[in-house]
Amino acid sequence: MGRSRVSTAFRPHFRPEGHFDRSASHKPILVLEGVMKVYRADAPVLRRVDLTVERGEFVFITGPSGAGKSTLLRLVYRAETVDEGRILFCGRDVARLTDESIPHLRRNIGVVFQDFRLVPYWTVSQNVAVALEVMGLSPRVVRSRVALALERVGLDGRGEDLAGVLSGGEQQRVSIARAIVTEPAIVLADEPTGNLDPVLALDILGLFEEIHEGGTTVLFATHDRSLLEVTPRRLIVLDDGRAIEARAGLSALGGALGGTLGPDHGVDIDVRDDELLEAPLH
Amino acid sequence: MFSRALRGIRQSLGTQLLSVATVALALFCMAGALLLVENAGAMVRRWGAPVRMTVYLADGASGSGVEALRSALAALPEVESARYVSPADARASLGHGDDALADAPVDLFPATIELRLVPAAMTPSRLGAVADRVRRLPTVTGVETYRGFTDRLRAMLTGGRAAAGFLALGVLVCVFAVVSNTVRMSLQSRGREIEVLRLVGASPGYVRAPFLLEGAFLGVFGALAAVTLLGVFFFGFRYQFDQTLGLALGVRPVFLSGWVVLGLLTGGGALGALGSAAALQRGLNGAPT
Repeated sequence: MGRSRVSTAFRPHFRPEGHFDRSASHKPILVLEGVMKVYRADAPVLRRVDLTVERGEFVFITGPSGAGKSTLLRLVYRAETVDEGRILFCGRDVARLTDESIPHLRRNIGVVFQDFRLVPYWTVSQNVAVALEVMGLSPRVVRSRVALALERVGLDGRGEDLAGVLSGGEQQRVSIARAIVTEPAIVLADEPTGNLDPVLALDILGLFEEIHEGGTTVLFATHDRSLLEVTPRRLIVLDDGRAIEARAGLSALGGALGGTLGPDHGVDIDVRDDELLEAPLH
Repeated sequence: MFSRALRGIRQSLGTQLLSVATVALALFCMAGALLLVENAGAMVRRWGAPVRMTVYLADGASGSGVEALRSALAALPEVESARYVSPADARASLGHGDDALADAPVDLFPATIELRLVPAAMTPSRLGAVADRVRRLPTVTGVETYRGFTDRLRAMLTGGRAAAGFLALGVLVCVFAVVSNTVRMSLQSRGREIEVLRLVGASPGYVRAPFLLEGAFLGVFGALAAVTLLGVFFFGFRYQFDQTLGLALGVRPVFLSGWVVLGLLTGGGALGALGSAAALQRGLNGAPT
């Protein structure tokens, strides 16, 4: 994974007015600062979670069921909003995005779920193409990029099959193709192997590894401990609503060994650029 | 967007067809009422225009006096022609084919002057003013303007229009409710689709547009079916209409004008889109993001 590949894949275009924020490419892709999320006052799901994810990182997030893994991911793509603290995606506070900006945020984030979230009566191609169609791309571009994405996930030639008749592993591949077809800045995977047998789970993890090798940042939430042992990626454990750095990733290890393997985690990088954050938000 | 809307319609074709049929039935009733009102209007225009006035003359009015009066009346700007009808002429006219009337004494029939009025120059108030002036003339005993008949026709037409208005209101509510509920069902059955669209960054307009189009399609197709059905009935039975009503009332029935048909189609479409918008307002606001 080289720096140059990471920077070309990164296209922060989630501002409706289409301004390119050059300074954002020098910031960590995701920063959580003191994030609190409370559904029941006596049992907060997330308690002042601090987390920084650099571009091109692969981060496992684990913890028992109900630890807040899914909630954390939902906060990132603004399906929910934080109760306290802030989440900076490409340097911008996602909680303060206007309603018009949220779709643009989501076009920069690929999301993969345990239950695939496919439209069963659509074909495989339609399920993948929808991510490009909402961006208004021409049908010719959509067709070619969908074909490429399906090829990447090993579903070449299955485009006309109905998604509902595919096996679980195949459906998850469609879901991954949909998540990566837009070449998003980050892919969030919420228990993507939860519905699959161990062999298929490893296959899917391998697919995420390939996507990551292409320069995409991956946040992989799972409670499957066996997957965590397959590759020595950075590991965040959510426990009692708190995020604990349980294992440093390859890049951090590389940094400790001489800084040859990639960017630092950047946990100490200060991204509180208030001037940048204030301007285009409501 | 059109293809997405059509894809949505195809997906629940049975429900959509049922909705179109319901909308068509409701609009058929409304279009039928409009057709009746339009033809009743033509009949009122045909029969209700103040084109005649009968001036009854006093018994024993002299020939020169009557002629002077006829000439004076004929010279009025509202009068197209004035014709003297003597008692003998009246008896001959009314007794034609009726022996009892033909044998009746001639002095039973009053002498009259029949005025044909200029329709373009005549309004109900002006007709009243002319009748008052004529009534004050010395040899005149009475004036018949036939307004009672035209007033009754107009009252019937006004009542018909009001009934059609109420019917239209009911039909509008019905179409609105049918489309709104169809789109709500569509929203429920396509919840996953909406969820996916939002997940991949579809704007609210992108999510809503196919449903709005779907509602508009329902309204337009319903109106089209209603007009087609009415046309089939009308032109299929037109010969009978011509033979009976046409001959009896002196008016030929006409179908809805192109503008009314266009109004029904666009109105149906607009109402469908409104019903859909209402369903989206209720159905999408509480949906998960």
